[in-house]
Amino acid sequence: MLDFAIYCLTIIAVWSVLGLSLNIQFGLTGLVNFGQILPFGLGAYAAALAAQAGLSWPVGAGLGLVAAVVVSLLVLLPARRLSQDYWALITLGAGELFRLTALNAPSLGGADGLTVPRFADPHLALGAALALMAAAWLLSHRIAHSPFGRMLKILREDEVLAATLGRNPVAYQRTVSIIAWAMAAAGGVLYAHIVGYVSPASFTVTETFIVWTALILGGPGSTLGVVIGAAVVQLLSVSSRFLAAWIDLPADVLANGRLALFGLVLVLMFLFRPQGLVPEKKEVRDAPRP
Amino acid sequence: MLRVRDVSVSFGGFRALNAVSLEAPPASITGIIGPNGSGKSTLLNVVAGVYVPDSGAVTLNGHPLAYGRPEQVAAAGVGRTFQVPRLAHKLTVFQNMMAGARDQAGEGVFNLFLRPGAVARCEKEIASRAEAMLKRLGLAHKANDYAGSLSGGQQKLLTMGMLLMADPAVLLLDEPAAGVNPVLIEQQAALLHELKAEGRIVLLIEHNMEMIANVCDRVFVLDAGELIASGTPAQIRADERVVRSYLGMPA
Repeated sequence: MLDFAIYCLTIIAVWSVLGLSLNIQFGLTGLVNFGQILPFGLGAYAAALAAQAGLSWPVGAGLGLVAAVVVSLLVLLPARRLSQDYWALITLGAGELFRLTALNAPSLGGADGLTVPRFADPHLALGAALALMAAAWLLSHRIAHSPFGRMLKILREDEVLAATLGRNPVAYQRTVSIIAWAMAAAGGVLYAHIVGYVSPASFTVTETFIVWTALILGGPGSTLGVVIGAAVVQLLSVSSRFLAAWIDLPADVLANGRLALFGLVLVLMFLFRPQGLVPEKKEVRDAPRP
Repeated sequence: MLRVRDVSVSFGGFRALNAVSLEAPPASITGIIGPNGSGKSTLLNVVAGVYVPDSGAVTLNGHPLAYGRPEQVAAAGVGRTFQVPRLAHKLTVFQNMMAGARDQAGEGVFNLFLRPGAVARCEKEIASRAEAMLKRLGLAHKANDYAGSLSGGQQKLLTMGMLLMADPAVLLLDEPAAGVNPVLIEQQAALLHELKAEGRIVLLIEHNMEMIANVCDRVFVLDAGELIASGTPAQIRADERVVRSYLGMPA
């Protein structure tokens, strides 16, 4: 039972990193990334490929981060010339492109995937996941409450306003993408070493949808909210497995039922609490002296 | 000196501006008037770097301004407002004002982590300037309110303040008085006189003829994309073509 709790905590921490990464993009900057699983997958596959080639894990991690940054810049190339609505389509397409490539390229393991050396000690895995989450949290927090974050929020509210104030929106979007994608890739590297196995089935659009559910549930723009959202979503996901075992539900019904539940959560949040469980805090300043 | 020389703009087959030229010297307020659809906003958008003109040139102190790159034009010292004020509605008034300042150390990601001291110093300096600007505009008591909760007139004042945080040489104002109560219009007029006294170039699009008469040194009149008259407000009022196309016959 304790082992299971440790595993749950580890997974929550990893998904929090993914959620925090999405929060920097969408919550702060307004970038709709429907391919959030892509940098995560890139990190995981880089870790796996490096391990297959006999390289040590830091090399794999480095490769994963570099790959995510390079791909983020590639994805930005068409996006910068289109309005933000297309951003969703481009990222969605890029994520699927990667998954289908992994599925069909034998050197990437195809549908069978690749094995990755696992953490020998689950406590160590938990420690690493919590450390990464703490780092992502601190980074997110520093950005959200900085002049940089302030300009990101201006960009989120109105791109034209940012340009009117003399800022180049594309430059800010690029910086945000690099940071957020590297963060997600780091989560992916860790995920690969925790699970010990990567395959295209782990990096589908559904995974992106689950990260979005966590973000919308927790509160876009709120660092604490995202982590809470990730925890709730992962716990719901895990507990639904027990429920299914208890009432003897087939696995496919369970999987689809879970997605339907997340969809319902999204609809209810949009209808009744669009600001999320933990709304973004208003940055209040001490009253100006008279 | 802001110079617009022979600027023409077409949208498809429609000629929005036809060889329009005007000059606006420092420490002056230049009005642009004309009926709806006469090309006033198009002209403003060309100067602000939103539209690329088919021909002609816009220069500030002899240097051409970038076309189609509004952020570069803004960075070159040209601030502009919009008919419907653009603000970050879900940030506070104070936050909006702070964002107007240029060259902030804390907007560089590396500075955030490697030079926190410099970031904090810069932030403090900008905060005191933002505070002073809010006082100047009479918005100090609204500092911690969401910008979206301000009245339309207050929002227009705030956007002007945000631009002034960057100390622009040129201000392009698109109908600042439209939909604003008379008290705030007077406040705006006083502010415009101050901006003029500070040596700035102010270009003012406005339908409120009283405000035009009160503040403008020179007025240019557009009609159907053509410049039909220019002169002091008094001269414009006496111009027969202007009266016929825009001001209307006295009853």
